[in-house]
Amino acid sequence: MSNAPLRVVLAKVGLDGHDRGIKVVARALRDAGFHVIYAGLWQTPEAVVRAVADEDADWLGISLLSGAHMTLMPRLLQLLREAGLSHVGVLVGGIIPEDDVPKLLELGVAKVFGPGTPLDDIVAFLQQAPRDRHASTAS
Amino acid sequence: MLAPLLERFRQRDRLALARLLSLVARGEQTEEILAGLPTTAKPARVVSITGPGGVGKSSLTGKLIAEIRRHHLSVAVLACDPQSPLSGGALLGDRFRMPAHPDDDGVFIRSLAAAGGQGALAAHLPALLQLVESFGFEVILLETVGAGQGDTAVRALVDVVVLLLQPETGDELQWEKAGLLEVADVIALHKADLPGIDRAEAQVLAALGLSAGPTPPVLRVSSRTGQGIADLWQAIRALPLRRGLRRDADELFRLTREWLAVRFAAVRATPPCTALLDRWRTGQVRTEAAVRELLRLLSDSPLDHD
Repeated sequence: MSNAPLRVVLAKVGLDGHDRGIKVVARALRDAGFHVIYAGLWQTPEAVVRAVADEDADWLGISLLSGAHMTLMPRLLQLLREAGLSHVGVLVGGIIPEDDVPKLLELGVAKVFGPGTPLDDIVAFLQQAPRDRHASTAS
Repeated sequence: MLAPLLERFRQRDRLALARLLSLVARGEQTEEILAGLPTTAKPARVVSITGPGGVGKSSLTGKLIAEIRRHHLSVAVLACDPQSPLSGGALLGDRFRMPAHPDDDGVFIRSLAAAGGQGALAAHLPALLQLVESFGFEVILLETVGAGQGDTAVRALVDVVVLLLQPETGDELQWEKAGLLEVADVIALHKADLPGIDRAEAQVLAALGLSAGPTPPVLRVSSRTGQGIADLWQAIRALPLRRGLRRDADELFRLTREWLAVRFAAVRATPPCTALLDRWRTGQVRTEAAVRELLRLLSDSPLDHD
């Protein structure tokens, strides 16, 4: 199992329609050997959680440029917990004010990547993260 | 490790289905998993949606999901894409083109990319389909890129093959060359709202007219306008569940040939096969003996060889 490609769902929630950043990340992760499921724009938190569940994702990457992160992320993380998906690592990318970063981490986000983050940093973060996240649900 | 997961599967836990699909797609513990599945009361209708890239398979699949739900049937989608032979990565974007049904337990959508590309995926498909069917879905839509020969293998695993074509994609000779028309049970002329649809339809009908025997229905559909979607589902539903047919000897022979093709794809890269080839090339084994040996390898190999 350890060599299997990690599955990453990438999505945008809420009304912001800027998808260039998330597409660049999607491609970089694909090129680094990940299986990337691109769920697209304008997703509701409920739809994202359903995608994470059905796709058996290891990671969920959310791109947020709208400023709605402090309302959308708590809701998303709560829905993930309710769906039995606490083992899924959550990343946030986009424009997040510095003061909000610790709050998001506190809520359970694994990492926040701001604008200008080198793609290699994102890839390296995922590759170095522990791989046995599934242990809790597989047993 | 596996037993609790299978128990959760029997309790119809979607997360267990999702996890088991991951294992089987990687060729891990497939035989143990299949042995632990509950038997299905009612066979699913397995429909392959195939066609060249860009023809709109995902959009049409999205429309079909809604139509199938209108008939109160549950539906699972397996959207298959090749993974990069270089990095092993894959960008699976089919889901993006299908409307989400987050509150509807009657819809399950899963993107798949197999290690080892299309051939390996075909090798894992029987088990993947069995999992989804055993979970109780009534309709299974299998979305694959139509690539000619690969589709023949897929055809053996499904009840109905829907081939999507669109205006202005190459001429009839291209379709003939790819052998696409032969595998189709239903031909859907997609993007029927675009100009050029009359010409495309004429080409398809002309190509079909050249072949002996019964020809598949040809329907005009459009995901954009919704034209023909209901008719397409009716056409799919009107066809017999081929996987269940047991009378026609030709069908059995054809299935055998197709399964053999799948096994060939799975076996040829394995160590016993390459060793055999080496011994044959260097003259250590005579051709006839090598053929027999190869036949034995094909019949012994598990279909889900990793």
